[in-house]
Amino acid sequence: MIRVRPAGGAGRSLCTAALPATNGRAATGPVVGKVTDDHPNTRRTPTVTVGSGSLAAPRQRTGPVASVKDLSVTFRRNGRNLQALRGVTLDISSGEVLALVGESGSGKSVLGLTLLGLHPQKTTTIAGHVEVCGQDVTAAKPDTWRRLRRSSLGAVFQDPMTSLNPTMRIGRQIAEVAGSRAEGVRLLNAAGIPDAERRLASFPHELSGGLRQRVMLAMAIAGSPRLVIADEPTTALDVTVQAQILRLLRGLRDDLGMAILFITHDLGVASQLADRIAVLYGGRIMELGPASEILDAPAHPYTAGLLRSRLTLSTARQGPVGTLPGEPPDPTTPPAGCPFADRCALVLDRCNSEIPTPSTWTKSHDVACWRTGGVVGQEQGHATPWVDPAPAPGLAILLHDVAKSFKVRRGLRSQRIWSLRGVDLEIAPGEVVALVGESGSGKSTLLRAIAGLLEIDRGSIELGMTGSPQMVFQDAGASLTPWLSVATLLKERLAGSNAPAAGREERARAALRAVGLPQEVAAAKPRELSGGQRQRVALARAIVVPPPVLLCDEPTSALDVSLAATILNLVGQLRRDLSMAVLFVTHDLAVARVVADRVAIMYLGRIVEIGPVDEVVDRPRHPYTAALLASVPEPGRTLDAARGEPASPLDIPTGCAFEPRCDHASDACLTSDPVLELAGPPTVDPVRLAHKAACLHRLGSDLARAAGREAGREESR
Amino acid sequence: MNPLTFAARRLGAALIILLILIATMFTLSHLSNTDPAHAYLGAGASKAAVAAERVKLGLNLPITTQFLHYVGNLLHGNLGVSYRTRNPVTQDLAEYLPATMELAFYAIILALLLGLALGIATAARWRGARILKFVMVSGASAPLFLLALLGILLFYGHLGWLPATGRTSIPNPPTGPTGFLTIDAILAGRFNVLLNALQHLIMPATVLAIGPAVSIGRVLRGSLVTVLREDYVRTARSKGLRDRAVLLRHALRNALGPALSMTGLQAGLLLAGDVVVEQIFAWPGIGYYAAQSIPVGDFPAISGVTLVLGLFYVLINALVDILQRVADPRVRA
Repeated sequence: MIRVRPAGGAGRSLCTAALPATNGRAATGPVVGKVTDDHPNTRRTPTVTVGSGSLAAPRQRTGPVASVKDLSVTFRRNGRNLQALRGVTLDISSGEVLALVGESGSGKSVLGLTLLGLHPQKTTTIAGHVEVCGQDVTAAKPDTWRRLRRSSLGAVFQDPMTSLNPTMRIGRQIAEVAGSRAEGVRLLNAAGIPDAERRLASFPHELSGGLRQRVMLAMAIAGSPRLVIADEPTTALDVTVQAQILRLLRGLRDDLGMAILFITHDLGVASQLADRIAVLYGGRIMELGPASEILDAPAHPYTAGLLRSRLTLSTARQGPVGTLPGEPPDPTTPPAGCPFADRCALVLDRCNSEIPTPSTWTKSHDVACWRTGGVVGQEQGHATPWVDPAPAPGLAILLHDVAKSFKVRRGLRSQRIWSLRGVDLEIAPGEVVALVGESGSGKSTLLRAIAGLLEIDRGSIELGMTGSPQMVFQDAGASLTPWLSVATLLKERLAGSNAPAAGREERARAALRAVGLPQEVAAAKPRELSGGQRQRVALARAIVVPPPVLLCDEPTSALDVSLAATILNLVGQLRRDLSMAVLFVTHDLAVARVVADRVAIMYLGRIVEIGPVDEVVDRPRHPYTAALLASVPEPGRTLDAARGEPASPLDIPTGCAFEPRCDHASDACLTSDPVLELAGPPTVDPVRLAHKAACLHRLGSDLARAAGREAGREESR
Repeated sequence: MNPLTFAARRLGAALIILLILIATMFTLSHLSNTDPAHAYLGAGASKAAVAAERVKLGLNLPITTQFLHYVGNLLHGNLGVSYRTRNPVTQDLAEYLPATMELAFYAIILALLLGLALGIATAARWRGARILKFVMVSGASAPLFLLALLGILLFYGHLGWLPATGRTSIPNPPTGPTGFLTIDAILAGRFNVLLNALQHLIMPATVLAIGPAVSIGRVLRGSLVTVLREDYVRTARSKGLRDRAVLLRHALRNALGPALSMTGLQAGLLLAGDVVVEQIFAWPGIGYYAAQSIPVGDFPAISGVTLVLGLFYVLINALVDILQRVADPRVRA
């Protein structure tokens, strides 16, 4: 439980007082510094509690705290006009959480920055009407914006690693908005930072990602702003930490009553928090309505497509997953009609020429589509199931007790951090194993060790077949040499093989065909391609000489939902066509479930649970796996976040490494370090496929699920 | 790494550089045609006297032994005897060095201040930044001696605002304890001397500082522009801080590293320019001393000056490295 005493009633009460004057004319700006914490109101404000069972009565929710009408934002970049937003109309009511959902390039962050007045003035053209806190700020001066940000707005950004000043202590950074040390401590406490007093003296790099994002939140809520813009605040965090931050945001909103503009690419994350959802595409709002309606009964084909291509823990995995073909329009040359027209299965003639005007779908639910009423129930037909090739004998990868440490300097001493602490793993030819874990679990280190990019300290790595393993990375853009054409990049790999020179051109073309790219791409340079296309090129390069083993390091986590699904289908197709063994590293269990046959859960350098995907996802035996599963945000699901964050590999707990975060831990867990033991049905053939967990108290299937349900019920109460 | 360990290591590296410098000086003096024995005794000395002098100076010993003696003497602060002044070089340096140190000190401070002003003004696009940049870049593009002569013509000859030569025009200035005239004047309570000394410093210090200032300013501008695009600067703006607070409190410290390195590098160039500037302004420093010693091939004096300047250069750069660690807590860890 976190105790909060909301301060700075000054800033907000004035702003609220200004509200009745809002209708139409610009009210005199609520110009109150956040630093007025010695305002007499502060001390009299009653103490309230954040979290479930809040004592605070919900604040009155009247009038919009921000509204935009027919907003267009255009950037001038390299001599071209980039139309980021085109005719957006939106109100954010006082105290509501409005989720702005869209893929990259949809303009969602642009809208957030517009409401903060943070666009560079010289290169940005803003047309339409913007009102924040009752003030017309369409053409406001920088100083007006600055005072508005100080008194009434807060912001949290995506990457907590880069959003705090690295050379300034936390205490000073928070004092800039809190005004006093005591208020700073109070805010840090409100953001759920343990031992806040001591943290004031820390530098940002001394804190974990989750703690840093809590510091950002503490700064955002200083002075009780009326509106907090949260731009992908959980995207860079581990899934268990994401669940904690989402819960904190909800608690803060309930207690402080501010409105939140929650910008995200993930409808599942939005579902956890949002009262209303606005779906943005190509700089326009496609659909806007209550969260439950948008999630359950989307009225726009794009929203429906987004929901369909979103991977969940119940996505059908017998065949290719549903996708949303095509790519978003180029913002420099926006289409004349509906921006979604060329990807829409239900496209009409007028969609290409006329921009659909938003029409009311139900009360308080607008949709911008000419085909009102024709969308719901438009399901893609069931995909044809995968045809698995006959299993090949032998093993593609055999790992035995693999350990890897790195040397780090700490003061005078140098210390070893153990990134891998003894990993055993067997992968058969044609089999896909997903390695799932949070940051610091060692999953990428293991991949690089298998690829031969790292020397291991202990153990053995055997690759069963001839031919070197190939790797596909998260950032395809950075892994392709920028000045070489795609054809050159592909043929480069053939240079070492004994393929005849004449056949190389054809081999390169065949590889492009295999990954579903048009032949024109061969002449292009990587920077001329989109993110999805680049990842396809990276895959093409990996398979132009079919490797026995394909190593994938989060290849989809930088991609939008619809593109990620196509890449996963592609991996699924290629591994069956080429009988490749695939080791697929991901932090996302839903992705692992779709792409893999078996999943291995890693925690602090060890595999703590391994087994067939359905076994592990449906009947997790390790509490950590259960915690990961309970943190996956999905519509209609209450998250149950695990405590704390992964321990640092510098300082691994004795006994079971997960013990400090475990709800099931007993005294024995403090001392005994469990190894992988059989956790599922004892008779499995081959033995490789057995379900194993490294836990003294391997959760019984029924027991764990009941516990999960219980926790969920408690949460929602 | 522990700050003390780091400082110790950095100073150790500095020592090695100095040793290389010493070896170079030693080799150069042996490659030259000047015979020290001849130089000391004068052109009319007899062969026997020269041979005796060679034995006295240890020039008959093997070259490695001579080098060890040379280094040993250096360690004892013995830089030899100047052929020209017949004084121990150490004594000469003690006389000339404070003037140079004072000039270099004010020049570096001025270069830093001007560099900061130029860097910040151009990065933040302050009004007047272009004029500042124009003036400073023009100044830096002109050769030192031209700039110095123009300065003398304008501010001394034409306007009569500033003196043209020497450290002070007041007779019997205070002579101790620091050797810095400005500081000694304050200690002695003679503020007219302080004022006068500062007037004498303005022109030579500015001429020396302008080139380094432009380099520092350009590097600072580059890193500031990069830092101003960082996420934490956006965070600072989103808090509603004033532009100046964002720039000076959040951006500047993070952008200072490259500018500090540049200051260290430029300090070396500044010392090189010092020899020219001291000549023009008749500044009684080691540059002036060196300029007198070079034409007569006074090797002990030349190598003494070189070693002292090298020591400065190495120390300043070591100091810069240590300062950078203070500026950035991430490197400290």
